[in-house]
Amino acid sequence: MESKNKWSNLISWFLTRPKIAGLIVSLVLCSVVIFVAFQRYQILKENKNNEMDTILSGVHQNIGQSLKNCYATTLTLALTINDEGKPQNFDEIAKQLLASNNSINSVQLVPNGIISYVYPMQGNEAAMGLNILKSKKLRKEALQSIANKKMYFAGPFQLKQGGEGIVGRFPVYHKDKFWGFSAVIIRLETLLKTSGIHAIDKSKYYFQLSKINPNTSKEEFFLPMKGNFSQKNYVSEYIPDGNWKIYLISKNPNDVYTHLMAPTILGFILALCFGVFIVLIFKKPAELQLLVNEQATKLINSEIKFKTIFDQASVGIARIDSYSGYFMEVNKKHSDLLGYSLEEIKNKNFQSVTHPDDLDDDLANLGKLRRGEIREYSMEKRYITKLGKVIWINLTVSPMWEINKQATTHIAIVEDISAIKESEELLKKSEVRFKSLFDDSPLALWEEDYSAVKNYLFELNLINEEPEIVTAFLESHPEIIQKCFSLIKVLNVNNQCLIQYAPKTKLQHLSSTDIILGKDIPHYFIKHLGAICQGNNHLNIDANIKNPKGEIRDIHLIYSVVKGYEDTLERVIIATEDITERKSAEKTALKTQQKIESLINTVDGIVWECDAETLNFSFISEKVKDILGYTPEQWTSSPSFWKDHIHPDDTSWVQNYCRTKVDANSNHDFEYRMIAKNGSSVWLRDIVNIVVETGTATSMRGIMIDITKTKEAEKELNNSFNLVTEQNQRLLNFSYIVSHNLRSHTSNIASIVNLIEISETDEERNEMVQLLKTVSDSLNETMVHLNEVINIRTNIGLVSESINLQQYIDTAQNVLTEQIILNDVSITTIIPKNITVNYNPAYLESILYNIISNSIRYRHPQRKPEISIQWFLENDMNVLQISDNGVGIDLVKNADKIFGMYKTFSNNPDSKGIGLFITKNQIEAMGGTITVESEPNMGTTFKIYIQ
Amino acid sequence: MRKKNIWVIDDDPIYQILIDKIINRSGKFSSFSSFKNGKDAIDSLANSLKKKDSLPDLILLDINMPVMNGWEFMDAFSLLKPEISNQINIYIVSSSIAAEDKNKSKTYSEILGYLSKPVSINDLLLIASND
Repeated sequence: MESKNKWSNLISWFLTRPKIAGLIVSLVLCSVVIFVAFQRYQILKENKNNEMDTILSGVHQNIGQSLKNCYATTLTLALTINDEGKPQNFDEIAKQLLASNNSINSVQLVPNGIISYVYPMQGNEAAMGLNILKSKKLRKEALQSIANKKMYFAGPFQLKQGGEGIVGRFPVYHKDKFWGFSAVIIRLETLLKTSGIHAIDKSKYYFQLSKINPNTSKEEFFLPMKGNFSQKNYVSEYIPDGNWKIYLISKNPNDVYTHLMAPTILGFILALCFGVFIVLIFKKPAELQLLVNEQATKLINSEIKFKTIFDQASVGIARIDSYSGYFMEVNKKHSDLLGYSLEEIKNKNFQSVTHPDDLDDDLANLGKLRRGEIREYSMEKRYITKLGKVIWINLTVSPMWEINKQATTHIAIVEDISAIKESEELLKKSEVRFKSLFDDSPLALWEEDYSAVKNYLFELNLINEEPEIVTAFLESHPEIIQKCFSLIKVLNVNNQCLIQYAPKTKLQHLSSTDIILGKDIPHYFIKHLGAICQGNNHLNIDANIKNPKGEIRDIHLIYSVVKGYEDTLERVIIATEDITERKSAEKTALKTQQKIESLINTVDGIVWECDAETLNFSFISEKVKDILGYTPEQWTSSPSFWKDHIHPDDTSWVQNYCRTKVDANSNHDFEYRMIAKNGSSVWLRDIVNIVVETGTATSMRGIMIDITKTKEAEKELNNSFNLVTEQNQRLLNFSYIVSHNLRSHTSNIASIVNLIEISETDEERNEMVQLLKTVSDSLNETMVHLNEVINIRTNIGLVSESINLQQYIDTAQNVLTEQIILNDVSITTIIPKNITVNYNPAYLESILYNIISNSIRYRHPQRKPEISIQWFLENDMNVLQISDNGVGIDLVKNADKIFGMYKTFSNNPDSKGIGLFITKNQIEAMGGTITVESEPNMGTTFKIYIQ
Repeated sequence: MRKKNIWVIDDDPIYQILIDKIINRSGKFSSFSSFKNGKDAIDSLANSLKKKDSLPDLILLDINMPVMNGWEFMDAFSLLKPEISNQINIYIVSSSIAAEDKNKSKTYSEILGYLSKPVSINDLLLIASND
């Protein structure tokens, strides 16, 4: 069992590896071929050697025979020697011997080694007399035969008498004493002939004869060499009589291989072929196995695929026993549809889940199927689910048995069509509803067919033509319009239509389209046809229509192509609404509005209305043109027009104010500026009313009144008021100054007078009188000053001239020359040359003198006084600036005093407190001002502003 | 009644001469010092405090003066006040009849009265007796 297993394992191992199996078989066969070839080679080789041995031994025998004959010959010849040692009848006997032995060419007797007798003499004369024992070449062999006392064949060698031959020498002893030799000479030619070598197949073999040279001990070959000798391609035999070796040499040593070559190669080829054959044979099952595997995989895949399709299908699939109706296999969808689990459903049959009303049909169909009357059927039926719900399905049944075979099972494909059924129901309902909508609509509705109109327009090449061209064409062809109108087919009308246009029956209405013809039908109908030409499927137009009473009614006509009929216009809905009353109401409203508008436009102010949230203006009265220069359209077209045109200085607060007021729902009245079209600022008083609906401001209405003139007057009034106030103030100041300054003197006088009255001595009285004089002088001085100031203030004798500033600065410097030199003052003047000012010369001189002399007077004790005079523009005012590096004034303390009368800040005896007071008054009298900047110990800068 | 020490602070030299006479006539004052502005007076007051010299009992103070006017003197005086142990009565004596000056004088507790020039002997006697 086990071995069998192993065996089959081995086979299958090979079967799966056809190449290795083929190789192994091929190798085994090759070795068999090699073995057989080798055996065959051995046999051939042996046969050949045997053959050659046989041939050679034949030759050997022949040669031996010849030599034996020679032996007899020599013996015979020796017998001719008589007792004296002389041959008797040599020639006679020799002749007989030669005749009897034709292999011998000649015979000799060589007494003492000298060739003395030769037969036949002819041809052998040269040998005569040769002493072979003395011949170097022959001696050794001759001595050998003597030593052996045996016949010995010497040679082959060149015979003295010519030619090649062998000499057999038989030592002859006479009376136990060496007599000489009896010799036979055999020509080699003859010897070979007798040996029979000529009979040898010369194509296969050749013959060779060799002898060890007695002199050189080297093997000499006597026959021509015809091939390689060195290999084992020969057989040899030794002939002791002549010390010869004979060879039979194979001419073709390789013929054995030649014989073997073809079969061996054939063997190999066969082995190879067999190997290949095995490979092919073995391969076949492997390929088949592969094919089987592939098919199996395909099968599995397709099974998985179909299993997946079955399980995942969006339709329910079931395999059902065609007799019992039991579910044998269902997919998930199917069980989901019914609500039963896969296990539960296997215990059910389709009869139990089918709605009883549908069961009979289903069973009838199944019966037909079973009987082979039909091959499949489809039907819509109802299932009852586990939960008792009725669902609509579309059932398709296909048998699983072949035609004319016994019914077995069938496949039921079940599709849930509940939704479709439901929507069908809905559709039906909605159709009913829409039908009633159509019929009961308060609008008069026509369902009409415009296809003939469109075709007619198409024939006229008006479809997709430019609207202007269509209009022009139709206007000039009223008969075409009439034709078009008659081509409209009324399909249906609703109840309202009947009521309004009141033909007695629908039918009558359908045939009398002409009731629509009002007085200006062409006008709107041209538009309508134009819209059809342009492919517009919806159209809203106002038109007139004549009702059965013959009244012309205004209607609003809506033309709408029913979806799906856009190309043909076979179905079109025309809705008409009687708007006669509305139109007339509109007209009245329009008239009222126009009246109000014209009223509003007469109001001298911009009447406006805007949205409370966005501040978008919806109305602006015409007056805006007069007041601001803009048109109402300009204003209302831009949402931010108002904001954008408020004066930049007012825009921020105005918008904030407005927002606050609107948020508080409070009406307001305020004034601001707007920029007019010509760029000027216009003062507006804006009276705003907020329209509140349900607690929130929805819109605002108001009026903007031009108050520019009032504003200007107000401004002027303000200015003059300020001026008067200022002048009053100055006057008050002045009177205060006057009273103060005068009072100090009068009080002194009063005191002095009092003292005089109560004086007890004349001396005392005189002293008082003196004092009175002093007081009187200073009072006088004060009066002069006051007079001067009054003069300045009342502009008495004030004449302004155009005067050169530089020149006056020079004059002031000249007046102060002494002090300038004394105090080493440097004055820098940075003013454009030839600057002229319109000023009173005396004032200018006085101003310059006062300020420069002040600068010198209040110089810093530790510094070289430096005064800088500059001229520049500041805010459109000319400024003459005089700065020094003097002691400066603490302006924090003295700001209010610096320009006051009799205000001094130091104990400087020259300080009178009148110079800057006068200066200030002079500058102000010329319409300018003076300011001062100063810091103690740093210096003072006066700026004189000149108009 | 002890005779009092009086200081007159005024920049009007003629007034100074006249007040000197009037003070002498009144016979109520032991000594009389005159200062031509507030600065001189405050310096002298500080100096006297330092040297523990006798301080004035009465000061007649003008308002409009260079360098340091009457109001400025009052501000400086307030700073020195904590160091002063005895009573110093201050009267404004001014040629100004402006109500604002008069009102301003009332804001200073140290100022006992506001006299308009001219000052008579009777005025001085009244002041001197007003303790």
